[in-house]
Amino acid sequence: MIFETKHLTKKFGGLTATSDVSLQIGEGELVSIIGPNGAGKTTLFNLLTGHIKPDEGKVYFQGKEITGLPPHTISRMGIGRSFQRLNIFPRLTTFENVQVAVFSAQRKSHQLFTSAKKMVREETETILESVGLLDKRDMKGGLLAHGDQKRLELGIALSVHPSLLLLDEPTQGMSPQETIETTALIQKLVKERGLTLIFVEHDMSVVFGISDNIRVLHQGKVIFSGKPEEVKRNEEVQRIYLGEENK
Amino acid sequence: MTIEALTGQALSGISVGMVLFLIAAGLSIIFGTLKVLNLAHGTIYMVGGFLCYILTSKLAHIPGIFWWALLFAPIAVALIGGVIEVLLLRRIYAQEMLYQYILTFALILIGGDTCRFFFGVGYQTVAVPWPVNGNIALWGLSFPTYNLFLIGCGIVVFLGLSALMRYTSLGSIVRAVTHNRETANALGINVPRVYTGVFMLGSYLAGLAGTLMPPMSVVALGSDMAVIIECFIIVVIGGLGSLPGAFLGAIILGLLNAFGIYIIPKLALAFPFMLMIVILIIRPWGLLGKPE
Amino acid sequence: MILVSLVLLIVPFVFSRSMVSLINEMLIMALAGCALNLMLGYGGMVSFGPAGLYAVGAYATAILLTKYGAPFFVAVLAAPVVAAIVGAIVGWFCVRRSAVYFALLTLAFAQIIWTIIFEWYDFTNGDNGIVSIPIPEVLYVGSNIYYFSLAIVAVCIFVLWRIVNSPFGATLQAIRENPMRTEFIAVPVRRYQLAAFVISSFFLGIAGSLFCVFAGSVFPDYAHWVKSTDMLVVCLLGGIYNFAGPIVGSAVYILISKVISKNTTYWMFFLGIIIVFLVLYMRNGMVGFAAEKISRLRNRLDAGKGEDES
Repeated sequence: MIFETKHLTKKFGGLTATSDVSLQIGEGELVSIIGPNGAGKTTLFNLLTGHIKPDEGKVYFQGKEITGLPPHTISRMGIGRSFQRLNIFPRLTTFENVQVAVFSAQRKSHQLFTSAKKMVREETETILESVGLLDKRDMKGGLLAHGDQKRLELGIALSVHPSLLLLDEPTQGMSPQETIETTALIQKLVKERGLTLIFVEHDMSVVFGISDNIRVLHQGKVIFSGKPEEVKRNEEVQRIYLGEENK
Repeated sequence: MTIEALTGQALSGISVGMVLFLIAAGLSIIFGTLKVLNLAHGTIYMVGGFLCYILTSKLAHIPGIFWWALLFAPIAVALIGGVIEVLLLRRIYAQEMLYQYILTFALILIGGDTCRFFFGVGYQTVAVPWPVNGNIALWGLSFPTYNLFLIGCGIVVFLGLSALMRYTSLGSIVRAVTHNRETANALGINVPRVYTGVFMLGSYLAGLAGTLMPPMSVVALGSDMAVIIECFIIVVIGGLGSLPGAFLGAIILGLLNAFGIYIIPKLALAFPFMLMIVILIIRPWGLLGKPE
Repeated sequence: MILVSLVLLIVPFVFSRSMVSLINEMLIMALAGCALNLMLGYGGMVSFGPAGLYAVGAYATAILLTKYGAPFFVAVLAAPVVAAIVGAIVGWFCVRRSAVYFALLTLAFAQIIWTIIFEWYDFTNGDNGIVSIPIPEVLYVGSNIYYFSLAIVAVCIFVLWRIVNSPFGATLQAIRENPMRTEFIAVPVRRYQLAAFVISSFFLGIAGSLFCVFAGSVFPDYAHWVKSTDMLVVCLLGGIYNFAGPIVGSAVYILISKVISKNTTYWMFFLGIIIVFLVLYMRNGMVGFAAEKISRLRNRLDAGKGEDES
């Protein structure tokens, strides 16, 4: 088991965003977290990645407790993450976007007097190629198409050698064609690098397409967890999603 | 220090604080609703002061001219504020804080030199008007009546503004826009007009302060620079966007300024900034503000 | 770059003494601007109080030369060190907050520095400032003082150029673009912001020291928030997203100020108008404006070329 949470709880004022969430995730698993809007998925993500501290509960990664550690430490330990919005560095070129992450991975970020231009070129290009953005390397990140930006973000996240990836709605805003391509890309990268993946998704085709396991979140609680077929059959889950728009 | 001296100092500090409250209230409301840090707010205050001086000196033959000035100068200042908002400020709402800061700084330069053009560089004074000149005896002690009058004005304005914000439909419109501009827009509220109105209200308050201050002090160039920093401090201590915060902050600053020199005279000037830093670090939304 | 350097080298032979003095001032302001821009344009950290660190440098040199009779080079070398130390303390507090609160904190600290200088009469001479500072006679021979400033400014700007183009500079820009994302590539963002603050303070201190040497006197207003705003305008005028921005901005700003103030006593009015124009119509500054036009021209030429070839 690579990742575990115990009784994670977070309240904002009177609202309980996350309620007693206990998860166990095995190495190499692809787990999706689904739930209607407002179920607390992003809050859960933020708890897992150290952006907010839980009121109660603990988070463990590779056996070590990571509750309350700052995000950059968690990232250094091998947890990568994507964000729902503003996910890249807009004014930097695509190449520079990945390059700065590679600097950090190789612990070169602090160097003040070496010229960055020609450094870590090979590694950066390799990553750009693996997400299919090598030809757009000189474009400013902010000018990329939405789908390309998501792929760039994937590239950035991969640069720091994560063993666990947390993706927050990786196919959001994508056309059906882009969704298929991105999903395939994610699958390929995960298998190539032996990553564990936890992702939040609204697009059920993606969820049922690639998940090994699904956790259903509702009002901050995990109300069901199981394999895709089990989730599809479960009545309570269907009830919750009735009236919810599926993309 | 004798009780009389202590209370005298305190009252003097608070009365200056009340004038600062009027300016800071405007600054706070403008920041709260328009989300703009208006550096030129002090200049608007200064213009009010100059208008007061002009009216009371040129029309000195009219009895009670000060009170007429008190009535009309702030309105004139509010109109000037409205023009500035429509012509200039509107264009920078979407821009980042740095540009707003620099633009409103430019307004200080423009406004300052405009005042210099019309009024020259010297000090001007305005006499304390009847019937609030002289001293009043309270509890066996004697205080300048004008100080008490200023405190009274501050309280009246504070209560009036709070009532306006809380109990009138105008107030709820302003609060709606402050909370969420898009929603207010969707509800059919004419947001740009509310912005102009709020800015004019803030300017009115600054103009009012500018008219009330001269009898206690002088009208001079450079008062805008001195005042704006004090108001920034007040607004930070009390809370950006909070009216009661501005009131509380003004009292605190007034007392700090009055008594600081007795505690550590050398550092007295620095106390307000130190308090500002403490607040920004441990409770940046101010004593009475709300965390974002 | 090389062309500019060559031009700058022959300036004293071509221009009048007062012009050389003006260019000297521009050089110093350019350094201050570049130092500030490390934080501002590259780090995305808006500071309202750079003049505070600038004044610390100026006063460090002034006090060491007058009160302690320190050797000249010690006094000048000490300035950035002192400024960096002060910057580290101030910065440690300031980077705990972001955006508006960060800016207000820098303002408050700068005003405290101003107050300390203003009030600590025994040490700093208060509002009288320190005048007749013993600068080595050799600097007053010919244009030596100009070359002194030029040499130091050139070296410093070169160092800043290296820093900006280093992995540190890249990481700083990433922080500017998206601090949350940068945290998640394992970068301790606050630490890097503090480092930028300290480096910025270091070079601001040098600029202050240079001005102390140039002017022969220092005053509390070197730390005033109005002086800070001058520096911000210099950066904006040239363009905060280009390295050369503050350099161009400094030259233009000082030139315009001098020209306007020669012609009218209401120079602040016109300066204000220019700044308004700048904020409304040239947000990326002059260098940014030029860069945009050049790249648009290049695109059009490329497009034209493409059509010719096909």
